[in-house]
Amino acid sequence: MIETIRTVAIVGFILVGLFFTLVSATGVIRLPDVYSRAHTASQADTLGAGFALAGVALALGFSTTSFKTVLLLFFIFITNPTAAHAIARAADEEGIKPWTTDDDRTDADLYEEAMADE
Amino acid sequence: MSDNRTLVPLSASSTNRNTIEYAVRTALADGPATLRLVYVHPPEVHADDSREQAATDLLKRASVWANEDGEQFDAELTIETAQLGTDEYLFSPSDIADTIARDAIQTGANRVLFDPSYDPGIGAPLLRPLEYELARFDAFTVEEAPAGRSARRTPFLARTSLPQIGAIFVISFVFYQILAADPTYWFEIVTGVVSAAIVAIGLSQVTFTRNPTWQTPARLVRHTIYIPYLLKEIIKSNILIAAVILHPKLPIDPRMTRIRPAVWGSLPMTALSNSITLTPGTLAVRIDGRTLTVHTLVPAAREGLFAGDLERAIRFVFYGREAAEITSPEQRGEAELIDSTDEPSSWEQDDGAPTDAAEEERTDTEPPTMNETDEGDDT
Repeated sequence: MIETIRTVAIVGFILVGLFFTLVSATGVIRLPDVYSRAHTASQADTLGAGFALAGVALALGFSTTSFKTVLLLFFIFITNPTAAHAIARAADEEGIKPWTTDDDRTDADLYEEAMADE
Repeated sequence: MSDNRTLVPLSASSTNRNTIEYAVRTALADGPATLRLVYVHPPEVHADDSREQAATDLLKRASVWANEDGEQFDAELTIETAQLGTDEYLFSPSDIADTIARDAIQTGANRVLFDPSYDPGIGAPLLRPLEYELARFDAFTVEEAPAGRSARRTPFLARTSLPQIGAIFVISFVFYQILAADPTYWFEIVTGVVSAAIVAIGLSQVTFTRNPTWQTPARLVRHTIYIPYLLKEIIKSNILIAAVILHPKLPIDPRMTRIRPAVWGSLPMTALSNSITLTPGTLAVRIDGRTLTVHTLVPAAREGLFAGDLERAIRFVFYGREAAEITSPEQRGEAELIDSTDEPSSWEQDDGAPTDAAEEERTDTEPPTMNETDEGDDT
């Protein structure tokens, strides 16, 4: 009985993790510019990896290895925002204007603009 | 060459005497000159009297030396002193470089001369990045005084102390044992001690800037309250953003915003901007001093940011419960929407009454533990 619940919980965690990773991938494709895409990149890492690692920890049971997955999550939580910030900061330094709702440029326009600059 | 002006940033250093001598000699080589001695205040103090006194003494001593050296030359030497950054918050090489550059341009200096062991007191050794930052400006040249006979390179362990080494030793030993899987096996303990000792001696200079105090464990405890809170916030906004992304119409309204959170010190600031970026919907783009430029994806995330919940939680972790009660950035007038990251913030533009009022209010509620915000206690 306990084993069944555990298996269900493990599968559940991994599925939720997969769901958020999928959402994050969708976001990277659907969102308009580099800043908003950087938002969803952090989703994959926080909840996507978070739930997946929770599933892994549960599958391994109470051992040092499962403790290491917690540590892993801790390090992801420190490095992920740093990377997102570095991307956003680099974009800002390049002078990229964030997309706003009254901005009707499409990806093709932006690409041409960028090519024209070179 | 009457407009020969040299700016010399000074800090407590054993080579000051030498630097002054060099500055005077090179400045007076071709005619009368002006020497401007400045002291740049390190970040974590709010007008601490003893520190200001020390700076005044240092500058006074330096001007006496300069006068002494100047007498040997025919050309006339004018000496000015100034203290910078007393009312600002400078915590990165570029902040300090900007302050020095601003002063140099205002006073028309055409040369900035550094002491070889100049250290503005913000932690890690910093002269190289500082010189690099200042090289961006064309108005003046940047130079480093040659290390004279009396100049000593800082000894390997001089910047650190026993409590710092001890703290890093304990942290790395515990970490090693966690990875080692069997902490009771003698081999792991011996290798653990050896590696922890190497880490402690090698990295103690760059890890802590101050000795750990009794505040540190208290903060660690408050951290354990903060982490579940942060997780809750992350899950909440993750669901919100997931709904937005999967919505067929993609109802986003991205805007750049700028806030000036009421946290002080590089570690609390790092913790705050890290948390802001971890929460989907808000992304820290730029941090200048205490000003944080944040990109927000949806209005709900923006409201949350302006309401300052995370900021309050960070204050709770670092300064204790009473500090959490400071009003939100929106109420303080320290939050705004911006169109371009280049435009100056509203609280810098007008030095008018509203910001002053907010400033005062803030000092009143300022927590007493302020002056040791830099510890690396992020376990």
